[in-house]
Amino acid sequence: MKFVDDSQNLRVRLRLIQAAALLMLSVLGVRLYMLQIVNGAHYSEIAENQRIRLLPILAPRGVILDRNGSVLVDSRPIYSVILSREVTKKIDYSLIKPFADGLQIDAEILKEHFDQAAASPAFESILIKEGVTQADISWVDAHQLEYPTLRIEQTPQRRYPENGLLCHVLGYVGEISPEQLNKPEYRDKGYKPGDVIGQGGVEAVYDEYLRGREGYRKVIVDSRGHIQSEVERVEPQSGQDIVITIDLDLQKAAEEQLRKSPQGRGVVIAMDPNNGEILAMASAPTFDPNLFSQRITTKEGRAEFQKLLNHPDHPLLNRAIHGRYPPGSTWKPLMATAGLKQGAISIDNSNLVCGGGITIGNKFTRCMGGNHGSPNVHIAIEKSCDGYFYRLGLKMKLEGIQAMVDMFDLDKRTGIDLPHEVVSITPSRELKAKQTPKDPEWKDIDTVYSSFGQGQDVLTPMALLRAHSAIGMKGHMFVPHLLKEVHAIGAVGYDPIKNAPIFPERAAHGFEHQAPKDLRLPPDQSDVVVQAMWAVVNEAGTATGIKLAGFDIAGKTGTAQVVSLGKEGSEHKDHSWFVSYAPAYKPEISVVALIENAGLGSRFGAPAVRAMYDVYYAKTRGAKDAGNNIAMEIR
Amino acid sequence: MVAVLQKRTIRDFDWLIAVLAIGIVCFGAWQIHNAQPTETYWQKQLIGLGIALVAMLGIAFTDYRRLVELAPFLYIFGLLLLVIVLIPHVGMKINGQRCWIKLPIAGQFQPSEFVKIPVVLMLARYFGKHRTGGLTRKEFLVGCTILALPIGLILLEPDLGQAITYVPLLAVILFLSSVRMWMVVAVLVACIVGAPLAYTVGVKTGLLHGYKLERINVILDPENADKRGFGYHTWQSIVTVGEGGLTGARGSEYSQSSLKFLPEPHTDFIFSVTAETTGFVGCLLLLASYGFLLTRLINDARRSRDRTGMLVIMAIVGGLIFQIFINVGMALGMLPVIGVPLPLMSAGLSSVLATFIAIGFAISVQLRRFVN
Repeated sequence: MKFVDDSQNLRVRLRLIQAAALLMLSVLGVRLYMLQIVNGAHYSEIAENQRIRLLPILAPRGVILDRNGSVLVDSRPIYSVILSREVTKKIDYSLIKPFADGLQIDAEILKEHFDQAAASPAFESILIKEGVTQADISWVDAHQLEYPTLRIEQTPQRRYPENGLLCHVLGYVGEISPEQLNKPEYRDKGYKPGDVIGQGGVEAVYDEYLRGREGYRKVIVDSRGHIQSEVERVEPQSGQDIVITIDLDLQKAAEEQLRKSPQGRGVVIAMDPNNGEILAMASAPTFDPNLFSQRITTKEGRAEFQKLLNHPDHPLLNRAIHGRYPPGSTWKPLMATAGLKQGAISIDNSNLVCGGGITIGNKFTRCMGGNHGSPNVHIAIEKSCDGYFYRLGLKMKLEGIQAMVDMFDLDKRTGIDLPHEVVSITPSRELKAKQTPKDPEWKDIDTVYSSFGQGQDVLTPMALLRAHSAIGMKGHMFVPHLLKEVHAIGAVGYDPIKNAPIFPERAAHGFEHQAPKDLRLPPDQSDVVVQAMWAVVNEAGTATGIKLAGFDIAGKTGTAQVVSLGKEGSEHKDHSWFVSYAPAYKPEISVVALIENAGLGSRFGAPAVRAMYDVYYAKTRGAKDAGNNIAMEIR
Repeated sequence: MVAVLQKRTIRDFDWLIAVLAIGIVCFGAWQIHNAQPTETYWQKQLIGLGIALVAMLGIAFTDYRRLVELAPFLYIFGLLLLVIVLIPHVGMKINGQRCWIKLPIAGQFQPSEFVKIPVVLMLARYFGKHRTGGLTRKEFLVGCTILALPIGLILLEPDLGQAITYVPLLAVILFLSSVRMWMVVAVLVACIVGAPLAYTVGVKTGLLHGYKLERINVILDPENADKRGFGYHTWQSIVTVGEGGLTGARGSEYSQSSLKFLPEPHTDFIFSVTAETTGFVGCLLLLASYGFLLTRLINDARRSRDRTGMLVIMAIVGGLIFQIFINVGMALGMLPVIGVPLPLMSAGLSSVLATFIAIGFAISVQLRRFVN
């Protein structure tokens, strides 16, 4: 110290300041050691994670083809506006307004997307608008400085046929719902939020094949999510194309018939009874699956969807497997087959009294066709004699009817490869007790009603067609199905570490048929029923109007009573059935038609089926020979 | 006479301090380049260094006693600048703070950086008289007043960060002016006990809430704080520092600063950039350089010929260590985010110039230790 200072211990105080300064620097050094040496790896990972992003490259789904190779559903590329989420910042809701104005989107729907993204921390990006126009792209370009996180991306979009063609079979795709994500069957397959998956029909059942494998771009982004460079790119693998058993010509004919029907409601199914391949499956009214893949993110699309949900005719239902109808007289060949097999009647002695009806207790139930005397089983089917089957039912008893139900699997799902198939309702004591608790006992009158298809039997058209096809096939009953084959898709990418493709090849394969159920029908017995059904169309039966020269149609009309009868074409008219197979002695195709609230089976169901056979005949036997000489107009 | 003076000047001139300071600025310019490779901040920093060196030499070769004589005028001039900067259109408003004056050629400058020097001189002049006893109440009040005027004006800008850097100037001078030791201890204890107490009481009563609470919470528990909200700066700085590891992060092409994750990388968070690019080794080197520089300054103070010179140097030391600790502490996530530049490192002409002027004073004091 150069100067005299006796007022204080200055030397010590200077030392203290020096010590304090060095202590402070040491504290910083220790903290540095903790951050950089002890936890350095941890922070490196965090820094790496916040600048590296995997941006998915969506894979197009597989194409769906009909059995002749016509494209039914494909994917086309569209452009979408995507907002990258900024890792480092919260979701900025103030962007909704300018985006809604600039891109003409509904602000509420946009807010939903933002909410969804805000709720899940793993969300990488927010979909702003799908299927954008050139004007939208220009708007995004012009606002790059203002909104650097907006980008345009090419994404595949599902395109379905116009006019709802085949809509119930094809189904549709849509974004996976939060409820689905919570279910293990979806979670285990590796679905994640935002995935577009099959939500109905074949799209849902065969989603596993149709789905592609998502590729990705590994990019470096800045704090605002702006892409700086691409580190790695893995191309996606498209989904596998599938061929379904549908024949587009038959399908169009089926839909045409339903469109022309009085109420525009009904079902037509065509099947190959030799293997269960569904050739056509039409349910009316229809809907446009493009709604789900293209318009559901717009306000108009949502309104359209609400309208579909609330529509009194339930267009979203596939009536072939979701609809249940009393079979009416189409029940009779099944009863006859079972009656013969159980021994209630025999080939030699199948006559039963019609008597114009039957009196049970003090109630007379009449035969709708008048008095047929004492017909044999052939006449009873040909003429659709109710009285005959009342008595056959009484002979077989409920147990016999139930054995028949069991033989034809009518109390089970047919097993068709479509989602949510319902089970037909069939007669039982339990059901009776449940339906009419005041009168729980099973009575003879219940047996009578159940034996001509107006009682507790309520069938899906699919189940009914399957049962009749089995009669035509001499007791061989196949599981109906839509898948014909799955095409292969080649391997994509190369992983040098595993020395293997990133996405390996996915192999082609056909449908794996189950062995048909053998009903063990004695051939002479089934022939009796087949002959009777042939006579329905080709002799003096109830559907002679649809006879086709050179093509032996065997069938059965049915008129299913709806609760109360009313005027022509009104809500309460009968459902009109026709179920058939052809050629009668070596069936190639079986067809069922159900026209809702139309009237007699012979007037509406049968001609619809005939139209199907016309197309089939033209396709397989040459158009010229189609039985034009037979009048199909019988109205 | 001139020749003798020259020779002795060259011999006694504290080259080491100057070389250390220049070295740190050059190192800093490299980090500024790392932080903002596409901008010209690092070049401006080197130009600033040139200007600062001239200023430093000018001050060093001037007798500090003459400048201390002028302290009242410089002080009033300084206060005037702080008033001028508050005038709209004269003072530039950046981020809601009006703390810059735009000059025609030199660009913008920050009076609050420079006013520290007249404040130091003023305090040294007042407290530099020969002491005979303990610190009087009058002395304490005068000291507080000298400090309060500029601090008050700076708080009007408002620039809390700059304002608090004035506090250690007075604290060091009071400490070296016979303030009683028990008072020093009492203040230290009060701080150590008071801070957590204030936090607890603040949270309980709800006085401490919103972004202020967030900024403190991120320091207490960065992993679980609101990293996207007000904890963002601190969290990103911690990540950036940690990423540096032992010798710096590889692949600096995509650094935290160039991807804009780290805010203000060339100014307030220049230390984080240093940590990311040079790692633990570089940071320790930097801290050691600061330690060496400060030790050297304290040694110069110890050898000072008079109280005034000693106080000038020590006030400067106090200011420097305080700023270093606040800035680095903030970068390391130990202290809340306050806009205090890191001396000699952060980009900014005002800061570099003011620091070199301060060093110039220290050298001037040291040069004249044998002169009577």
